[in-house]
Amino acid sequence: MRRTNWLAALLIAPLMLLILGSFLLPVGFALFTAVADREVAATLPRTRAALAAWDGVGLPPEPAFAAMAQELGQALEDRRIGDMAQRLNFERTGMRGLLLRTARAAGRLEAPYAASMVALDARWGEGDTWLLVQRAGGPVTPLYLLRAMDLQRAPGGGVQAVAAEEALYRQLFWRTLGISLAVTALCVLLAYPVAYTIAKLSAPWSAVALMLVLIPFWSSVLVRSTAWFVLLQREGPVNQAMMALGLIDAPVQVVGTRIAVVVALVHVLLPFAVLPMHSVMKRLDGIYLRAAASLGANGVQRFLRVYLPMSMPGVLAGAAMVFLLAVGMYTAPALVGGDRDQMVAWFIAYFMNREVNWGMAAALSAYLLAMTGAAIGLARVLTGGVATIGGRA
Amino acid sequence: MRRLLGKLAGLAIGVFAAVMPAEARDLTVVAGGGALQDHMRRTLFSTFAGGPVVDTAYDYNVGPIRAMVQARNVTWDVVLVEAPDLIRGCEDGIFERIDYSVVDRGKFMPGGATTCGAGAIGWGVAVFYDEARHANGPATFQEFWDTQRFPGRRTLRRGARITLEAALMGDGVAPADVYRVLATPAGQARAFAALDRLRPNLVFWTGGQQPIELVNSGEVAYALGFVGRTANGIRAGARYNLRWSTLLYAYDSWAVVRGSANAAAAMRLIQHITEAGPVTELTKLWPINPATASVANDPDVRARNPLMMTNHQAGGLEINTEFWLEYGPDLEQRFASWVNR
Repeated sequence: MRRTNWLAALLIAPLMLLILGSFLLPVGFALFTAVADREVAATLPRTRAALAAWDGVGLPPEPAFAAMAQELGQALEDRRIGDMAQRLNFERTGMRGLLLRTARAAGRLEAPYAASMVALDARWGEGDTWLLVQRAGGPVTPLYLLRAMDLQRAPGGGVQAVAAEEALYRQLFWRTLGISLAVTALCVLLAYPVAYTIAKLSAPWSAVALMLVLIPFWSSVLVRSTAWFVLLQREGPVNQAMMALGLIDAPVQVVGTRIAVVVALVHVLLPFAVLPMHSVMKRLDGIYLRAAASLGANGVQRFLRVYLPMSMPGVLAGAAMVFLLAVGMYTAPALVGGDRDQMVAWFIAYFMNREVNWGMAAALSAYLLAMTGAAIGLARVLTGGVATIGGRA
Repeated sequence: MRRLLGKLAGLAIGVFAAVMPAEARDLTVVAGGGALQDHMRRTLFSTFAGGPVVDTAYDYNVGPIRAMVQARNVTWDVVLVEAPDLIRGCEDGIFERIDYSVVDRGKFMPGGATTCGAGAIGWGVAVFYDEARHANGPATFQEFWDTQRFPGRRTLRRGARITLEAALMGDGVAPADVYRVLATPAGQARAFAALDRLRPNLVFWTGGQQPIELVNSGEVAYALGFVGRTANGIRAGARYNLRWSTLLYAYDSWAVVRGSANAAAAMRLIQHITEAGPVTELTKLWPINPATASVANDPDVRARNPLMMTNHQAGGLEINTEFWLEYGPDLEQRFASWVNR
């Protein structure tokens, strides 16, 4: 018995390693990146050490000024100042300019640095500047997690909301949740009759119908979203057809609205709802329905009290699948949506690729992960634990 | 049949060779793709005498380059980069210092030879519209903002950079004062207030081809779009009126990825692809805006390409890279917040 356990463990070892290597480690790393604060410690180690003993009142002692001047000059020379400058500039705009200006002048600065640096730029004479550097010493920071919720550290400690004209992310998460739930609900409503019909079809036709569901998978999300742009645009076929039929007088603006986003997402994700439902419905034993009929249940009762509960695992699996994918979508909203229709994923890509601010990208990802986890957990609780993903029928 | 099999085997080996990280990698140059890169391959890369050059495209996202340098697995050698990415990448040691004993520093336009970058080509944005649809259109940003005189929807780039400059000029700020004003809280508020006024008539684009598509499909009446693409549309027969008086421009540079095993050859390649000869050949295929001074000032080149940006640059505003490095993160965040309100 024990030997078979070992054998089983050995057999699933590749799978475990794959999960560990391709899922747990990257996700763990991403979560850690959301709180990591390495830049200042890596670039200004002596300044950080000199600031460690400072009580934060007034200005730090002369050794901190001296270390800052020398290390900034060295970092510029070694070309590793950018990451640190960006990190501090992200927390307070203008820091980048101050740091680079000081680094370029480092060769000309003389002791006492507390005097010469303040003469170069008055901001070195402000305790706030030094507090910012001290707090950024790491190894961890709540900065990104706070910013991703439109919060920041208050000057006197504690947490406060960012200025109204900077607030963005909370609204973004609500919108992502709203769009994803709407898409999920529509997908389930549209997919249920389709899956039901396919499950009822006889042998050759059910395969053909399943094929038709799968065909859209052959083209990329990008192509399908672009197609919706073409169809829905002002002078596109949808508007032209409706005008020709006399339904509308002037073209309706659809591209760039929330409706276009939902339509495109429903289209892209519909197969993910149909397939799990179909696989459950196909295996439903008709014997229960016949039993219900023999006990006198009419068609509506048979559906509501027997078929629907029995097909529920498929519905929940499909809904979970659609929701998970919808939450992470950004190509479709970017293409057919308007300015107020972008979702969280778009900003994650933006911070990864353009701003190269991985802390912010990781913080947004962490919340997104938490949101999907909470949604799935909630679905399980609400359904009393039947929502096992994968639909065990 | 046997021939076909042979061809397939050859193809398979070719694909295999292409995807496998070869030990001795060919010199790899990376640019923005599209037709321009096809022309670059013909005139710049394939004429390099210092060995074979392969080229690939990227979308100007520098994230992957940083990852490549950090992982010490550098597979790109020469990259065409935008000015802010060049400066930040240079400070962070993502790009090598240009070896000006190999690259001739004197041949570039002023500012074209920097620590880590050798000037390549300029790009710009300017207002344009379809004359087939609108006989008259805005010629300045103030007119672009004047929805009484020029009713209809407009499109601007989604993002703070370029858009906030346009907004200030639309509000009457002189081009020379734009960055001074935009550095002040009052100036930033003024720019966003100007955008607020235009908002009911405003849509935003993200990809470079969108302004053209939006104008062609009638989704918008007036657009601020890349002059290169608009010029190509005109050359292909579209009746765009391109308003050069609204030009905002910048230069891209060639840079060498740090840790490149081919760094020495990369410097020689950069020297070659910024030489007057190959660059002039490129201007015959595409109205680029070379950073090589002798080509940019060549009367023949200018006469041949009336739509070349260099011909119209005098009245334009150069996008201030240092400004955007410092204020960019904050203003981009504010812009995103504004756009989503």
